[in-house]
Amino acid sequence: MDARDGEAGEPAATADRPAEPEPAESGSPGGGAGAGIKGLTLPYQVAAAVALAVVVVVGGLHVGMVFLHVAPSNTLSKQHGRAMDDWVLPEFEQNWKLFAPNPLQQNIAVHARAEITDADGGRRTTGWVSLTAEDGAAIRGNPLPSHTNQNELRRAWDFYVNSHTEDNRANGLRGRLSERYVRRIALLKLEDQPLGGRIERIQLRSATQGVGAPVWSKERHDTRTYYRVLPWWTVTAADLPGGATGGRTEARR
Amino acid sequence: MSDRTTAAAGREPFDRRLARAVQRVTATALGPYQSAVVRIGFAAAWLFFLLREIPHRHELYGPDGPWAWDMAQELVAANRAFTVLMWSDSGLWFEIVYALAVLSAAALLVGWRTRAASALFLVGVLSLQNRSVFMGDGGDNVIHLMALYLVFTRCARVWSLDARRAARAAEARAAGERPRDLVGPLLWGLAVPGLVAATLLRDRSGEPWLLVLLWLLWAAQGAWWLVGRRAPGQPLALLDVLANLLHNAVLVVIMAEVCLIYATAGWYKVQGSRWQDGTALYYPLKLDYFTPWPFLSDVLAASGIMVMVVTYGTVIVQVAFPFTLFNRKVKNVLLAVMMVEHAGIAVLLGLPFFSLAMIAADAVFLPTVFLVWAGARVARGRDRLLRRTRPDGPGGAGRSDGSAPPPGEEDGTAGDAAPRTLVG
Repeated sequence: MDARDGEAGEPAATADRPAEPEPAESGSPGGGAGAGIKGLTLPYQVAAAVALAVVVVVGGLHVGMVFLHVAPSNTLSKQHGRAMDDWVLPEFEQNWKLFAPNPLQQNIAVHARAEITDADGGRRTTGWVSLTAEDGAAIRGNPLPSHTNQNELRRAWDFYVNSHTEDNRANGLRGRLSERYVRRIALLKLEDQPLGGRIERIQLRSATQGVGAPVWSKERHDTRTYYRVLPWWTVTAADLPGGATGGRTEARR
Repeated sequence: MSDRTTAAAGREPFDRRLARAVQRVTATALGPYQSAVVRIGFAAAWLFFLLREIPHRHELYGPDGPWAWDMAQELVAANRAFTVLMWSDSGLWFEIVYALAVLSAAALLVGWRTRAASALFLVGVLSLQNRSVFMGDGGDNVIHLMALYLVFTRCARVWSLDARRAARAAEARAAGERPRDLVGPLLWGLAVPGLVAATLLRDRSGEPWLLVLLWLLWAAQGAWWLVGRRAPGQPLALLDVLANLLHNAVLVVIMAEVCLIYATAGWYKVQGSRWQDGTALYYPLKLDYFTPWPFLSDVLAASGIMVMVVTYGTVIVQVAFPFTLFNRKVKNVLLAVMMVEHAGIAVLLGLPFFSLAMIAADAVFLPTVFLVWAGARVARGRDRLLRRTRPDGPGGAGRSDGSAPPPGEEDGTAGDAAPRTLVG
């Protein structure tokens, strides 16, 4: 730590520019900025010392808490999980398991199909539309991909999967919210599709396909596509986000 | 310089060394260039992100987006995250918050009224990100954390409009004038309605400590201004000591945070079979969401050796980085490697804002000599550009003086030195 602080605090000693003046190390008796603790009279020195102690303790505690938060579950975090969460959550929450322990090795696409009523009142079911393919098309060739293409559906689907049982039963609040969320995203993304009528119900499924083994590898990977099909959902006005009409001709609000 | 210090420290008794260290952290805001480059980097990352997403802002954070306002409200009620967007579901309020987030990021970037700008930046980042938590990625996460940390630092002592203003005020005082500052008190007054609103709506403004923090920042600005006018002796010196202490401690926290990021990223990778067999990099190159340039990705993925070199290199660098801080040269080499890798990630995986944020975080470890050199280069380039349009040359750039900060300085960031202003 010393080495780094020393380096960071060192005055700019380059030859061709005027050196940055280091604030006076020895306290000037008149006080003022840059005088440090030496430049203070005793009562103020006490206050500064107390502040120093508080800053060191709180700073150390914070780093310790964040460390335990990102560390694997351990003796300390099992004993003090509550205190840790109180300190870290929600604002200092973090997750740096980037592509770890293993990177994702499958492409997960979300498909949707709809049951629509067309102009003459007949009902029909559309084919499956890949919503993820729309995202992919928007990302390809784009130096600045939007979060709406890169994160929105991908993370919403994660959220759904993590808050549901395998037979699609919702776990509490997050489960219910995630259902509504993927529904609204699906309707927003279906808006660009020429479905030719009013959407009454939609159904989603995920198509998971493992990434094929590298050409230079002798491994064999299962690259078949596996589907997880969700139940049909009836679409209500509450499922239509801004910009989506669900094929309804009248404006929503 | 550091050699001499170390040698002297070796002979000195422990209590003397401690006393010197305490004097140093109370008298100086260490790492002025490092904190400035972190400020500029994160402000730029968030600013560019917000500008890029202007066409999609409603879909991301608006009351009618897929993550609807009432859904956000249910989640926020459960996790108590801070967001002023829960004050109202009106579209106008959303536009105001988005605009303020953009403006605060721009102000923070150029170091204009930096302490106030950093507080507003914090409010903007938290408000938008906590409004739609499922829109973010690692880049948003690190911006979120740094927005919280930056507010405690004196990050505008160089390369900022504040530093230039402080230098000019000091010059004016030396010439016997009394520079007046109206913008500071005005901003301070403008903060009151916002703070009062947050207090009245505290049941939907997240956890109470954030509200207390914002009020304390406001009070500190007021105290700084008042003390500067009425009692510029010892009380002002104490405030300066407190500001330095806080800055230095939080700078260490920022450094620790960056180390934790790399340590976590590296050590969890070590446990993965794909990182062990040297093929991990291959898989992201084949994911639809992370291949904006499939041709480039395929070229890299086609070489098993290249994939393995980058895969192993990534893990080695990430695991090793925190330990290399004890050796300047090795640290600087790894730092360069990490920055280059992040630049590569920006293009190859299509994560430009994430990469910019990570590079900004890395920058806290850049050596002062390099930063000063780079700053001088940029300043020269700017001066050359400006000379064409402005005959009187480079304003306050390259000027420095060692006087105390101006007593009227109430944003608490202007330093005693304003050697060069990169963005001024």
